[in-house]
Amino acid sequence: MKMKRKPLDFVRYILRKVLLVTLSLIIIFPLFYMASSSLFSSSDFNNLRLLPSVPVWENYVKALNNKYFFTYVFNSIGTSVLSALLRTVIVSLAAFAFAFLSFRGKKAIFIALVLTLFIPQEAILYQNYRTVAGLGLLDSWLGIIITGLFPAAQMLLITGSFSSTGKEVYEASKIDGATDLKFMIHILLPLCSPAVMTVAIQSLIVSFNSYLWPLLVTNKPASRTIQTGMTMLGFAESGQYGPQMATLVLVTLPFLIILAFTRKKIESTLIRR
Amino acid sequence: MKEKNIRKKRSGIKAYLYLAPAIAVAAVFYWYPSLKSLIESFFNVNGNGEILSFAGLENYRILFRDPAFINSLKVTLKFIVLFVPANTFVTLLAASLTRRPSRLSFIPEYIFFTPVAVSLSAYSLLMKEIFRGNASVLNNLFGTTFSGITTPGGAMAVLVILGIFLDFGIDYILLMCAFRSIDKSVVEAARMDGAGGWRLYWCVEVPMIKETVLITIFLALKDAILISAPIIILTEGGPFRSTETVMFYYYTEAFRSGNRAVQNALASLVLTLAAFVMALFPMKNRLTGDKA
Repeated sequence: MKMKRKPLDFVRYILRKVLLVTLSLIIIFPLFYMASSSLFSSSDFNNLRLLPSVPVWENYVKALNNKYFFTYVFNSIGTSVLSALLRTVIVSLAAFAFAFLSFRGKKAIFIALVLTLFIPQEAILYQNYRTVAGLGLLDSWLGIIITGLFPAAQMLLITGSFSSTGKEVYEASKIDGATDLKFMIHILLPLCSPAVMTVAIQSLIVSFNSYLWPLLVTNKPASRTIQTGMTMLGFAESGQYGPQMATLVLVTLPFLIILAFTRKKIESTLIRR
Repeated sequence: MKEKNIRKKRSGIKAYLYLAPAIAVAAVFYWYPSLKSLIESFFNVNGNGEILSFAGLENYRILFRDPAFINSLKVTLKFIVLFVPANTFVTLLAASLTRRPSRLSFIPEYIFFTPVAVSLSAYSLLMKEIFRGNASVLNNLFGTTFSGITTPGGAMAVLVILGIFLDFGIDYILLMCAFRSIDKSVVEAARMDGAGGWRLYWCVEVPMIKETVLITIFLALKDAILISAPIIILTEGGPFRSTETVMFYYYTEAFRSGNRAVQNALASLVLTLAAFVMALFPMKNRLTGDKA
């Protein structure tokens, strides 16, 4: 029986590899085309080429010389770092209360917070826009990040991680005279660093890549982020697709590099053995 | 006893203090706007958002009489039916093909990870260029005549493809890691019992990652119901309103035509629907999964 199977197994093996290579090529194609066409001349776009006839490095110079490029990037980095910081702090404080303290209405508050998972931001865009406008936060960093400062899913993640530390550790540190803040910074956060780092990095990426909300709350070019600004650099309108693609490369490449170094770590936190 | 009570009170005040920022954001930017939309949907509201008079179900009636809204419902349904199965198939296929690590598997693994590093607007702009019309790089390469975003059918197809790229990275990571978390002894035992190839895959491995597959399906469903931002960049709802989904319709009504009455009714409907769909979500896994 085993002998019979072998040729079939070999066919399966080849089939699997062909499928894998095809699928990999499909998934990488947009990125390949982005990189390739960032070096296109206008006629390369018209001739529907796959590779540039002569690499036009000037596209990158044009992209970097766009008067808003660095403003957009600065706003993006500023808002996403600020958002990641605030989110991590807000979520950690809440998780600390749920994991280590007992107080009245604990369950009710927990449920009210977790139920926000069921409220999609997309459906309340208009009311939130009015609130943020009313607070005078249009065209500001705080306005761009404020609606996303409480991610319920991440609070669940950190609460789970904090809870697994055990109350004894907290009680012991209290007997030793440590304040809550000291306990958190010196004991809890180092112990739960994988979960905390996950939240911080996720927040950074989500915030950096958000599109619709920053689009709504920013009107002045000087306050836009790169994700919304990228679609309005004016290159495409004037038929300069090369610099447009070069901008995409400049914005995407850092994340591709970070991913190359963190992929193993992501896998190891998610694979349970 | 008394001392314990005092202690509890103190830790109570501290707890509220720690929770204050979370509660504030949840209240102001989740609960308040949701309830406000729901209440205002039953009233006539002027351009500044002030309540004028009770309207009953009139706003909902206006909404359902708008042919553009009915169209957007059909478009969204069509998108869900096309996108959710296609997305599940492609992501599960990629995860299955790479579920056993080998010497060179880091190459496809990295490639399948890359979509998480590419933003929504970057992918939207790329797809807009790659599928810009009959004269496109892919048609030139394969000798095909795919119309891309210039025809209703083509635009829907491109939107589905874009949707898959946007969800692919995270779905792949979840599924592939779920496959690799399967206890190896179970697979070995099944092998010893003579299960191999397809049988082993469908009867042992896939059932063991059932929960993760369900999560990716629900995430896809949620994203399909709420899709709007990629459409703003890719097609602006066109051609001929063929990609005008419910949330894109909401966006144009609320922010471009300034139609306050309809906007609240629509928001309430979407919130109800979202709550309904999310209630079906495998919550148990989410709540306890990370403690294991």
